Amino acid sequence: MSELLIKNAYVIDPINDIKGEIMDIAIKDRMIADSVSDSAEVIDAKGCLTLPGGVDSHTHICGTKVNFGRYMSPEDMRAGRGRAQPHMYPVSGYSVPTVYANTYRYSALGYTTVLEGAMAPLEARHTHEEFFCTSLQDTMANTLFDGNWSVMEAVSDKDLKRVAAVVGWTLAAVKGFAVKVTNPGGTEMWGWGKDVGCIHQKIDHFGITPAEIIEYLIRANELLNLPHSVHLHCNNLGKPGNYKCTLETMQRTPNLNDKRQTLYMTHVQFHSYGGTKWGDFCSKADDIAWMLNRKPQIAIDMGQVMFGKTTTMTADGPMEFNLYRLYNNKWSNHDVELETGSGIIPVFYSRKNLVNSVMWSIGLELALMTKNPWQCMLATDNPNGAPFVKYPEIIALLMSSRYRDEEFAKIHPDTGKRVHLPSLDREMDFYEIAVMTRAAQAKALGITDIGKGHLGEGAYGDVAIYPIKNNDIDPSRDYSKIIEGFSLTDYTIKSGRVISRHGNCLLNGNNRTIWVKPKISEEYNMSNDPEFVKKFERYYSVSMENYPVEEEYMNKRNICIETETGL
Amino acid sequence: MIKKNVICSFCGCLCDDLSITIEDGKITGVDNGCALANAKFLGKERLLKPVIREGDSIKETEYNTAIEKAADILKDAERPLFFGWSGTQGEAQAKGVHLCMLLGGVIDNTSSLCHGPSILAIQEVGHPGCTLGQVKNRADLIIYWGCNPLEGHPRHMSRYTTYADGFFLKNAFRERKLIVVDVRKTMSSDVADEFIQIEPGGDYAVLSALRAIVRGEEKIIPESVSGVSKSQLKRVADMCKEARFGALFFGLGLTMSKNKYKNIRNAVELTDELSRHTKFTISAMRGHWNVYGANEVFTWMTGYPYAIDFARGIPFYNPGETTAAEILYRKECDALMVVSSDPAAHMPKKCVEHMADIPVIQIDPHKNCTSFFTDVQIPVAITGIEASGTAYRMDGVPLRTKKIIDADFLTDTEVISRIYERILEAKADV
Amino acid sequence: MKFEMITGRTIRQGEFVEHKHSAEYSEETSSCHINPVDMMFLGIMQGDTILLKSVCDEVVMTAFEDSNLKRGSVFVPYGPYCNRIIPNETHGTGMPDFKSSVVAITPTERKVASVYDLFKDIGGREL
Repeated sequence: MSELLIKNAYVIDPINDIKGEIMDIAIKDRMIADSVSDSAEVIDAKGCLTLPGGVDSHTHICGTKVNFGRYMSPEDMRAGRGRAQPHMYPVSGYSVPTVYANTYRYSALGYTTVLEGAMAPLEARHTHEEFFCTSLQDTMANTLFDGNWSVMEAVSDKDLKRVAAVVGWTLAAVKGFAVKVTNPGGTEMWGWGKDVGCIHQKIDHFGITPAEIIEYLIRANELLNLPHSVHLHCNNLGKPGNYKCTLETMQRTPNLNDKRQTLYMTHVQFHSYGGTKWGDFCSKADDIAWMLNRKPQIAIDMGQVMFGKTTTMTADGPMEFNLYRLYNNKWSNHDVELETGSGIIPVFYSRKNLVNSVMWSIGLELALMTKNPWQCMLATDNPNGAPFVKYPEIIALLMSSRYRDEEFAKIHPDTGKRVHLPSLDREMDFYEIAVMTRAAQAKALGITDIGKGHLGEGAYGDVAIYPIKNNDIDPSRDYSKIIEGFSLTDYTIKSGRVISRHGNCLLNGNNRTIWVKPKISEEYNMSNDPEFVKKFERYYSVSMENYPVEEEYMNKRNICIETETGL
Repeated sequence: MIKKNVICSFCGCLCDDLSITIEDGKITGVDNGCALANAKFLGKERLLKPVIREGDSIKETEYNTAIEKAADILKDAERPLFFGWSGTQGEAQAKGVHLCMLLGGVIDNTSSLCHGPSILAIQEVGHPGCTLGQVKNRADLIIYWGCNPLEGHPRHMSRYTTYADGFFLKNAFRERKLIVVDVRKTMSSDVADEFIQIEPGGDYAVLSALRAIVRGEEKIIPESVSGVSKSQLKRVADMCKEARFGALFFGLGLTMSKNKYKNIRNAVELTDELSRHTKFTISAMRGHWNVYGANEVFTWMTGYPYAIDFARGIPFYNPGETTAAEILYRKECDALMVVSSDPAAHMPKKCVEHMADIPVIQIDPHKNCTSFFTDVQIPVAITGIEASGTAYRMDGVPLRTKKIIDADFLTDTEVISRIYERILEAKADV
Repeated sequence: MKFEMITGRTIRQGEFVEHKHSAEYSEETSSCHINPVDMMFLGIMQGDTILLKSVCDEVVMTAFEDSNLKRGSVFVPYGPYCNRIIPNETHGTGMPDFKSSVVAITPTERKVASVYDLFKDIGGREL
């Protein structure tokens, strides 16, 4: 049995309502314990900021499209090379790093849990193969249902239970964690080179609308009693004037769950645009935040953009094609039969570019104008808005209006007329940052009950100790120290073992994959459903027998959350 | 006993609907397979025991001895080359990358001799593609360019394109148009609605001409381009623009001929251009059953799909310098480990010559031309028949091939892991 | 006469690719497909042996009449025979000119070598 005692830690643990107290943390045999014996290994935190391990509730680090981003980008690989270290493999990549680079860099930032934002069910094995190598974080996969034929047919038949049955079967088959909807209906239309506009446009052949897909999936999600809510990438991403579509989607969201949000809206920065074209493009973060402040049933992540080079990648195939026509850079696309799509292009966000400057402002505005930090997670839709290694800079921007002002002075001079950022003087504190980077994310994902995202007794011993002393630092002025401090933990501890010390990763982190298996009666078991079986016999290019992800792709530590359902 | 839905580990189609008859632990029948699948599943000849060369004679030995010998060779090597990987399970590919990282060697897969140029083109301009089922359900126009699917991928047309039923096509065979582009007539061109016969080396010019016509610049096109008439080019461009969903598949006819990766770049850019008019996709006809898997595994582990040199501790990639043909031709490597491939048969003689001068380790169930140079050959279980393992189809769809009969062979993964462990132990002893 | 040599996969080559020591593999990969008119000019008949010479080496193959080819091109199923004469130059791409190398063809009395013989003189040793 291993025992660890972290002494003299300045702890913020929002889920357990600890807002900054000097205390000791005991970890016994992987889990947080009340106490440990005298023979426990001791780490002296020396009063440094100590938080639960970071949780990223929306990132792209593993799977088909991520790997294709690497495959097509040797220039990005060269931008992030590192030699092998005693317990670390050599690494490549900046915005789409190799699996090892991702896992090492996340651990250096104190993250121990990450959710891959988009997994096509048909290609799930690939995501799980890469999860296997992501050895220092526990992983989960959002599973794409935006263009799923069986779901759309059931929606068309107004058969909620059937929608739930298809979703439940598929999640269990591909060992997914949550329901992801990317540009609902749009990815199916992209199969014909088209897109949907906002949520009320009918989808060819299926005759239903994005609004109906979202509504049915939200209700099916609750029927299946899944830990996380529906995870939505709204229609119309990146288009001027799309905020109306976003607002209406928010307005329509019911409140169906008292433990967490009913809808998680991701990278909302990309969906908060005013104007009618790029010429009059402006921020509508105020309207979006206004709505969010009235809708406790919704949680969002920022989708913050940071200046520099990165790679955009999403299941939203038509959006990437539009982006390609703007940038005329290289473009990859990958439609997935009967399910979804995807696209990739490299981009450069320039502070000299007005649109990019407005985008940068919008993300920050969303966070600063959302009153309740539990409703707004800190994320960049890695790597779409920026690589996750930029998180410390975002933290500093949220904590220091002086830093924001200094940065604002460097961006496109016309930005001020189109955004609200200069008028916002809110400065977040460590507690709010802890909420936005782990506690709210764990709560939104519904994984606090299995011991993630907090330091209560019985939780996993995931802890990040940052070289930041609350009393010695004024984040408003010393923002560069904030950046430095959040960039590199003194210790990142996962399941009671030190996995990273000053960025030197020490050992395999005993990573786990967390997935869900809704309990569904034989009556609703899609394996027995002739229409569903026919999909595989006739239209998929893979047989039903060869579709589900085998046990071999899970390591023995995997966590399967079985849910009681209404089916 | 009949096993259904068996995945065929021969070509990049990874057909997963084979029925295999097994009697007394032996395969006696193959249903649904093509001629290549039949040959693979019913093949009898194989190496039964590891062999070691001693002087002019070759001796059978046990796994332990062969593995030790392989580890000894690699331990002493300053610049080992690890080549092959397209015919093995993904798990073994990953182990191979780790072995190469450990030793600071060069690792390359057979892509460098098939679709390496396609990868170079994709790294310049990207790759608008899709899964094969998307083509099957939607495409009303199929183009095969520089490939002969009926011989290279015999079931590609019946499972995924021309003869496959599709959701949005009532009578797929009649509603779909087929265009074949090649320098010679083939079995595939015989069934095409439109056959474009190009003069050898003329692909680039013809692709450029089509791009110009699609862009509305047909007036600059001469009456004939690389042996293709302007009227045919115009007809083909119209067919492409009028299609609801066009799918272009290309083969080694583009990657191995003059202009190499620039051909593919041009084909991708034609697809980009057509995407502004209708739905169009492009896909490479990947040859070996898991060559795409080798690209995938190498990429997530090292950042690059092939040709990676770890000599300086960081992954370094420069095809043309770090590709196997060059490393061998320049006589740079001082040991060669070949996994599930046959470079002696498939590389120019000038590259093969160096194999005689260096120790060669081979991990392969079959004797082949590389075996003439081998110092130790270790037979392994055949993935997809005697062992299960991950494979990536030509369109990136990952599948798990199955073990359908028992055999007393170690898997590639086990052999490479054991070599790895030996070397690690030896390093620890120093 | 000079020809552009194209190589490629065939069904038969694929069927025997895991049996490279078989007579069938040798037969298939040493067959050189030629347009009948070109054969006439070369003065050869189906089944005659021919010598193919490139900038780097030469190899004996069997002529095979094939009207699917345009004049001036020959086709050889991919394998060790064609690789005998394909230059190693890759123009910095890693890919040799497998489908675009120039060969001179003349009739010959010499026999087609066995697969082993192809490798013996560059240090290959029998199994």
